[in-house]
Amino acid sequence: MSLSAVQGGAWSRPAALAVLVLGIEYSRVLAGRLPGMATASLLVGGLALCLLALGRRPADLGLGRDRLAFRVLGGFALAAILLLPAAVRWGGGPSLPPELAVAAVAVSVGEEIAFRGALFGALAEAGGPALAVLGSTLVWTAAHALSHPPAFLPAVAAAGLLLGTWRWACRDLVGPVVGHVIADLSL
Amino acid sequence: MTRALLLLAVAAGLYVAAAWSVAPGFYDGFGPQAPYRWVSPPPQFKNSNQPPQPGHGTAAVASTGVVNPGSVFTQDGQASASWAPGAFQAPADHSPVVIDIKPVATYPDPDGVHLATNVYCFTSSSPIAPGKDVLITLTFSDQLPAPSNVHEYQDSGPWRNIGNTGAAAPFSISARATSLGCFAGGYPAAAKQSASGVRVGGGQTLPIVIAVAILVVVLAGIPLAILRRRSSDG
Repeated sequence: MSLSAVQGGAWSRPAALAVLVLGIEYSRVLAGRLPGMATASLLVGGLALCLLALGRRPADLGLGRDRLAFRVLGGFALAAILLLPAAVRWGGGPSLPPELAVAAVAVSVGEEIAFRGALFGALAEAGGPALAVLGSTLVWTAAHALSHPPAFLPAVAAAGLLLGTWRWACRDLVGPVVGHVIADLSL
Repeated sequence: MTRALLLLAVAAGLYVAAAWSVAPGFYDGFGPQAPYRWVSPPPQFKNSNQPPQPGHGTAAVASTGVVNPGSVFTQDGQASASWAPGAFQAPADHSPVVIDIKPVATYPDPDGVHLATNVYCFTSSSPIAPGKDVLITLTFSDQLPAPSNVHEYQDSGPWRNIGNTGAAAPFSISARATSLGCFAGGYPAAAKQSASGVRVGGGQTLPIVIAVAILVVVLAGIPLAILRRRSSDG
């Protein structure tokens, strides 16, 4: 087998995952614009994103029970950072109805498992941790291009970079999941 | 470890700077709302405002003689009516019931109420059946105080508060109406002065969540750090 074939094989998995993640995210956003489909699209989209981790060991995704207190605590710290810029300028906002809150949890967990779990792992295997952090951030930002106006994308990218850096620095996905869920439920 | 912590701190700083440069709200999964289309835009939206659009739809009569369930939306999605089977009286000739939604510029003075949405007039070619109702849903701007209830008037008024059924989606308010008329979301005008920029009736949980998160990190972090130091000393 030639070197290029080996390299091609190494890249095929993250490339396929990136396309799948983008496809799911775009489909979810477009479906959510149909009348009465907001909650269902979030629930189904979150579930579909979780399915991208099938076949991977929890440890490869950054999941595990070791250092659990630290991981959960890290999630609260990430949530505080994610929410801080909004909290300082907060003027109140509508509370999420229960069905949307459940859907928000589903899509938060799904996005973390897909971006910082499966895609991060595949990119790390193919090109190392720097590529994993930057690549997962790039795809995460592109995935939000349909749901957020261009002015919001730098903030979205910075959030992806923060969560990806935590994933790399602490070899942990529990923190990003907890932080993302709290952030989405609070805003 | 130090390098990792440093990179984490840089990433956190970058995020805070980037998030500070845009309007508050992470809204992941939902996305910031499209700009609200005003009939009479507030001054800050006058330059960018697009006119609101009407809606039109029909509800067929089933072979059983009952009007089918359905929904009608304005083309911009800012107002809608949804109904269950039999909500409208079936025309004698079993022709479809026609429902129209139009944003209007003139309406009776909503005494004591600040309207937070356009006023939409709903009409149907057949009245709502006795004992039935239609769900009226109105979206509102994410840039201004949110309405606390739906208000309605028939013919030339007066306005009356018909409450709300809670939100089925972010930045929307719904109420059940037993007859069609003109509807708008609003909140008590007295609340405006005391709550500039505040979404009246909305949640105030974010600062509490932040405070709890920081408290948890501090309270749990100290014993964790002590335990880690003891285990490394031992």
